[in-house]
Amino acid sequence: MNRVQNTKMILWLIVGFAAAIGLNRFIFGLGATTNLTDKTPWGLWIGFDVMGGVALAAGGFVMTAIFYIIKREEFYPFVKPAVLTAFLGYMAVVFGLIFDLGLPWNIWHMIVFWNPSSPLFEVGWCVMLYSVVLLLEFSPVALEKHKRFAAAKNFLVKYRFLFVLLGIMLSTLHQSSLGSLFLIMQYKLHPLWYSEILPINFFLSAIALGLMMVSFESLASHWLYKRKAETNLLAKLGKIAVWVLLVYLIVKMVDIFLAGEASLIFNGSFESNLFITEMLISAIIPILLLGSRGIRNTNTGQWIASSLVVIGMVFNRLNVGGVTMLSVTGDSYVPSWMEVSISLGVVSSAILVFLFVIENFNVWNLRPVDPQAQPDTLPSFDYSSHAWLGVPNVASITKYSLAFIFAFSFGMAVIPAKQLHSKGILEIEVNRASGKEILFINGNRDDNLVSFPHEEHINRVGKENCNKCHHYVLPNYKSSNCWECHSSMYQRVDFFKHDWHSSASGANLKCFDCHMRGVTKNSSSAKQCTDCHPSYNFSEASGCGFEKYFTYSYADAMHNLCVTCHTEKSKELVDAKNLSLCSTCHKIEPPESIALNLNWQTTKSRFNNVVLPVTENIEED
Amino acid sequence: MDQWLEFTRGPLFRLCFVIMILGLLRILILDFIGAVKLYRSVADKTIPWKLVLSRTLQWLFPIKKIGRSRPVYSVISILFHIGLLIVPIFLFAHVKLWESSVGTSWITLPFAAAYVLTLSTVAFGLLLFLGRVFNKSSSFISRKQDYIWPLLLLIPFLTGFICAHLNISPAFYSFTMLIHILTGNMIFVLIPFTKIAHCVLMPFSQIINTLAWKFPPDTDKAICKTLNKEGVPV
Repeated sequence: MNRVQNTKMILWLIVGFAAAIGLNRFIFGLGATTNLTDKTPWGLWIGFDVMGGVALAAGGFVMTAIFYIIKREEFYPFVKPAVLTAFLGYMAVVFGLIFDLGLPWNIWHMIVFWNPSSPLFEVGWCVMLYSVVLLLEFSPVALEKHKRFAAAKNFLVKYRFLFVLLGIMLSTLHQSSLGSLFLIMQYKLHPLWYSEILPINFFLSAIALGLMMVSFESLASHWLYKRKAETNLLAKLGKIAVWVLLVYLIVKMVDIFLAGEASLIFNGSFESNLFITEMLISAIIPILLLGSRGIRNTNTGQWIASSLVVIGMVFNRLNVGGVTMLSVTGDSYVPSWMEVSISLGVVSSAILVFLFVIENFNVWNLRPVDPQAQPDTLPSFDYSSHAWLGVPNVASITKYSLAFIFAFSFGMAVIPAKQLHSKGILEIEVNRASGKEILFINGNRDDNLVSFPHEEHINRVGKENCNKCHHYVLPNYKSSNCWECHSSMYQRVDFFKHDWHSSASGANLKCFDCHMRGVTKNSSSAKQCTDCHPSYNFSEASGCGFEKYFTYSYADAMHNLCVTCHTEKSKELVDAKNLSLCSTCHKIEPPESIALNLNWQTTKSRFNNVVLPVTENIEED
Repeated sequence: MDQWLEFTRGPLFRLCFVIMILGLLRILILDFIGAVKLYRSVADKTIPWKLVLSRTLQWLFPIKKIGRSRPVYSVISILFHIGLLIVPIFLFAHVKLWESSVGTSWITLPFAAAYVLTLSTVAFGLLLFLGRVFNKSSSFISRKQDYIWPLLLLIPFLTGFICAHLNISPAFYSFTMLIHILTGNMIFVLIPFTKIAHCVLMPFSQIINTLAWKFPPDTDKAICKTLNKEGVPV
């Protein structure tokens, strides 16, 4: 039993480490955790966790189809584990997706806000429905443990046929529609992988992978619990897989030849080598291995063939899901170690749940029993402390929880401090608006100016109402401009300027001129502005953050001012403009006379002026 | 030296602090799992909630118990615990560190109070240690960790005091600070695996005892009778 315990210990260590990194992802966001960029928004998590995970779970629908529809009853021992694997696989997909989604709490949106023309919508619904169907398919096994659930169990068994049919239908739909997703990426995907029959390719490969995943899972779990592998049955499964793989290979090759892309296979480029490798490990070698009766009937041959197909098909999903797009987009994406560890953590937790269910429910005809639980075995002692950790159940909780917390703490320790804090928003100084009667404001720094007819506004509002917009006047000024206080484009500004007040070249104040002695020095224990500057009229500007000595960013201040007033006034107008559209205001190309004098640094290539992990070279544009 | 300081109060601190928090949670949960398992197997399912609550409060705020036996020891022990808990949590410098890293802050100790409490904790800790060494009934039931703990706990207090209140050279400051952080981290790691775990186990000790230990009613009185210790404080 040591084999199981050691495996579980390693899995718990991985889960603990990944949990810490996952926490980091949710606190500090995708930018601090992943190497994803705007060019490569789908990385390892989509390619491996979602695309690979769904494909690996194909065993569920393949086995139920073989057992319940084709009535090959000799495969009964594979059905329950296959359904369980499929269910856990889907749970892992959903769980992994939560990490990848930027706004995971909006995952329910697809239930309410329908978009029937999107393949992702179909995939989302199918995954959701199929997970429920799988749960219903598997729950009789869980329900038979207690007699009080007998009625529910009988009901589920009675209508099992319906669930099986539904399950096969839903799987067929979305295994293929994961392929349809990439039909719209014709110009991003390499031609060797892009095909109009991608959905069919995906479906065929899912069937082959499903069969081989069932045998891989069976081999691995039998090895783990030191049981005799079901070699004969696996050989029969391998025989079916050969035919499916052959069909897959032929369909794929014929499609490539018909499209006239055959020359790409051997042109020696990175993609051609990738393609050859993928085809070798996912189809050709397994076909050769499983095709020979001698190898098919040996345990080793089954191990190698099933591992090759599993690795090869996941490799295929990774290639379609992103690897082959890199040469087109010119991006260099390598998953960060945090992405890898979260992926491993998701898989490990699924395996742990699988082992738990195997040990506690009747998934196999004979449940594996912990030898330590047998009355005639001697109690085993922990080799580090030489202490008896209690009966096996208690001992395992004691050990694995310790492993988890050590791994978790280690994860917290190795997160780089720099990555703990995202790079935040770029500091951009605001320049004075240009023009005279009409002011031009380069708000977004993208040369789409906002024209602000200043003169016209004066006439409309009246000369006595300047303070509607110029809500605060700096000392010794007649009127202050917006940019003088709101001096940062996207960040709040320290309006009080503490450093200026305390420096010798500024107001030259000592600490205790403003702060009281013996109390913690902060804004609430210091003097108020009006204590020293009684003539300043702060009341006009109340609610603007003056109490806390900051001004809003230039963008916020302008939007608040213009949009609020215009929304109010637009009620009176018949031809009110749509202010929710950015281009309603940000649209004017700078007039030549002004453009010559512009020395604004434009930040066109930056998205929203947030510094992305890989910033582009501005000079190129 | 600066790199060492950076490392010990960055990654190493995170490692040790998280081990402490999760380790304490773990033993608490394990305790409850064990207690509930035993509770399931007993026939007597009654739980005297009021009694458990009042006993828990009595142990948490042992004002009534001071006069019963060894009052001097009790008072010293309580004062030691007060300083031990309040100073590290509410020290201004510590709160500032939390504020700059996590972003939350809370009320802080005034300068003078921190000064007095730190020194008093050191003094009471030494007294407790000496008591354990020279009192025969104490040293009889003491293990190695019982002697080491009070001394280990005092190191961060002493070094922290030196750094905060004495005029020392920068090099000596860094060295003392390094020892301060290292011993602090060491204490964090050791807490869940040694007797200091009572900081979370203690509030639940009464309920866990009630769940896990089931005797026939009035067993305590019967035992006292057998031992001829009726009415004698135990």
